Amino acid sequence: MVAIYITLLQVFILSSIYIKMTSEDQDEKEKHSNWLNAHYDPVAGFYTFSTCITFADLNGDGDHKLVIADLGTGLYNMTIKVLKGTSIIQENTLLDLPTGVTSVYMDLAEPRTPGVVVASGSGLFVYKSMRPYYKYNLPLLPVLPEEAVLWDQANNENLDPLTLAEALDGLKKSHPTSSFTARTSHFLQIENDADARQFVDDHKHKPLKRETVITCVTTIKKSMAEDDAISCIVVGTEHKQVYIIDSEAFTPLQDYEIASVPVIVNVSGLFDVDFRMFAACRDGCVYVLKKDSLQSRVCIELDSSIVGMERIHKHLIFALADKTFSCYTTRGKQIWNLQLPADVLCTAVMDHRAKGFKAVLVGLDNSEVRVYREKNLVDIIKLNDRPQALCFGRYGREDSTLVAVLASGALQVMILKRTAEYADHSSHKGPPMSQKMKLNIPKKTQLFVDQTVRERENGTKMFQNFQHDLQLMRLSVAQTYLKGLQSSMTPLSDDPSMPLKLSATVRGIGPVFQMLLTIENTAAISLNDPKLATGLIVLFKYSDTIYSIKPLVLELPALAPEISYKFAVRIHCIASDRPAQDTITALIVKRGTKKPLVTANISMPVSEGVIVV
Amino acid sequence: MGLMDKLFGWMKSKKKTACILCIGLDNSGKTTIINHLKSPESSHQDVVPTVGFNVEKFMMSNLVFTVFDMSGQGRYRNLWEHYYKETNGIIFVVDSADKLRMAVAKDELDQLLKHPSVAAKRIPILFFANKMDVRDALSAVKCTKLLGLESLKEKPWHICASNATTGEGLNEGVGWLSEQLQTLRP
Ligand SMILES: Nc1nc2c(ncn2[C@@H]2O[C@H](COP(=O)(O)OP(=O)(O)OP(=O)(O)O)[C@@H](O)[C@H]2O)c(=O)[nH]1
Ligand SMILES: [Mg+2]
Repeated sequence: MVAIYITLLQVFILSSIYIKMTSEDQDEKEKHSNWLNAHYDPVAGFYTFSTCITFADLNGDGDHKLVIADLGTGLYNMTIKVLKGTSIIQENTLLDLPTGVTSVYMDLAEPRTPGVVVASGSGLFVYKSMRPYYKYNLPLLPVLPEEAVLWDQANNENLDPLTLAEALDGLKKSHPTSSFTARTSHFLQIENDADARQFVDDHKHKPLKRETVITCVTTIKKSMAEDDAISCIVVGTEHKQVYIIDSEAFTPLQDYEIASVPVIVNVSGLFDVDFRMFAACRDGCVYVLKKDSLQSRVCIELDSSIVGMERIHKHLIFALADKTFSCYTTRGKQIWNLQLPADVLCTAVMDHRAKGFKAVLVGLDNSEVRVYREKNLVDIIKLNDRPQALCFGRYGREDSTLVAVLASGALQVMILKRTAEYADHSSHKGPPMSQKMKLNIPKKTQLFVDQTVRERENGTKMFQNFQHDLQLMRLSVAQTYLKGLQSSMTPLSDDPSMPLKLSATVRGIGPVFQMLLTIENTAAISLNDPKLATGLIVLFKYSDTIYSIKPLVLELPALAPEISYKFAVRIHCIASDRPAQDTITALIVKRGTKKPLVTANISMPVSEGVIVV
Repeated sequence: MGLMDKLFGWMKSKKKTACILCIGLDNSGKTTIINHLKSPESSHQDVVPTVGFNVEKFMMSNLVFTVFDMSGQGRYRNLWEHYYKETNGIIFVVDSADKLRMAVAKDELDQLLKHPSVAAKRIPILFFANKMDVRDALSAVKCTKLLGLESLKEKPWHICASNATTGEGLNEGVGWLSEQLQTLRP
């Protein structure tokens, strides 16, 4: 028992030390950031998202460039920009809003330079050495036959625009909006009759096409896992499809249909060997796509829209619109779940290869970027504004660079210090480390083992024996108690008419002692009945060869309830020749009765012998 | 006897050796600088990133220099501090065209100055703002500012803009360094 107390005490002390340490750590962190502010351009004027930023070794010289697909104003001035260090070295105009940028090694030519793929509208625009190289359009979708017939008739002037509009409107009732061509949607938005006529005329000689829109783009390594191995392009579309496209021949290698619109696709594995794709969709579900089956399967259902999905080894980590931050296995089992202090704006993976760990960066609405290793918050980076896009990787010649495009359009570049330490447990809230310390528990002895075996085998018998003995003991206790009550041999009287309590203390070292008797009338006070205990005397029973007591009989006054009366009795130990010790019994008796009310046995201390001078 | 002693002393001082540590981020041009100092005539050969470090020995302005050309790659930078104790002078090379990593260079410099073996000694530090020929390269003054050298009071230091491929600015810097070494250790 004592040992347990001591260990508990230790744990307590250790944990208080621990708490002190962590708070100091946090102060420390405020002072020395793990990050160097390498560059800040408040007027960079970028408007982009995490999917539209990437690092790429465009010249194959180890000096990695930053590629940003800029959404311009959101309507025009869309560009793709290449930055080297702190300056823009190249800029190309884009025709449509970019939805994603990725760099792909498309061939084995030396020096190994990747192409940049920009997904925009229904096409992939490929740049090599930052010159337009190829444009690939996703396969067209089938046009509704009814819609095609209507447009055919309109083109041949068999149908005036008004009836065409009515017919198309009618068709819209029986088919989902997404199954119509862009031409129909545009046409139905025209209100003016003349404009409608003009529209039909303008499009007369153009084939009716139904194109899709790319929602996300990523890459999958083809047959080797090296950084500069040839990859295929993975594309998710507005029409609930995921395509894998060969980057050498630009042909679709595989396509999947899923139940919702994919917004983030994360790939693991190699296309030629085996792979798995996790498609986070607008319906808040994550679907798994596998190499050998074209069927998609829901693997995780989330409660809110997915803002960011990152994969760390075999775990998928989600940042949701409702500020939850959670981790799931690829089989869909939740491992942990945290609440973030602010809305999530963007996420990124921090793959620190030199130190061999991966962390998730979460850009929050309070201008912080939080670094989570597993579920432990290991760092907080304060930015100058809300982060709109984050990208971590090798920039220039620095392996661990974080590029953040802020909501104000500013560009902020931070470099992780060489000396930065991201221990697994720092600023980790939870049971103190000392709790995980193993206590030095001795090995089980043979005796212990034998005892255990015996207890296991004879458990029932032992219990019955114990119960039997316990009953016997209770019986004998009850008997003794009853006897005591009957002979008033207790210092307490339970006689309802005369409840009394007697206690005695002995003072002195002998041969003369003083015995102090404390007598109390334990009756409850009541106003109409004084309940006085009257006519009581105290007698002593003792061996008169050892002691003499004065006075022999103590006449008690009337005892009022709830007051303790103290009486002193002088006891002389007369057996002076030897150190004597005996028991003296004090009895309280009522005049005229034979039975004592209360009895107290007082065992006297050993008396000092008389010192003869 | 007095004359002989003087003569010997003078001759000895002529053969004085100095141990120099050449550090700086990777790709800043340390090896190119050392190669040029060692044999200015040899047409500049291709340099490869240094692995670990190289030791070079050469004569310059009456001093025998033993230069430790350290690798600047992140994973080798922790080797630098093992040589701080023995060194008589430091050459710190920065790539003046790499603005992004000026902060990293400053961080490494701060750690160097904080190191007990360096803080305890008054050793001269020569900075080369290398690659001055590159377009948009920062001037020596800009580098001084970005590295926070104005506040470096406790050590003699000097900064030179240089071009290691042509040798421009190298002699000025090394001249200053040997002067410092001779005055500090007469
Ligand atoms: N334009 C220009 N290039 C230079 C200059 N000095 C060095 N270089 C080039 O920079 C590159 C790197 O030079 P190194 O001497 O290997 O650099 P380092 O500092 O020794 O690099 P590590 O050994 O990796 O630490 C080489 O390609 C050099 O040719 C210079 O003054 N101007
Ligand atoms: Mg070198």
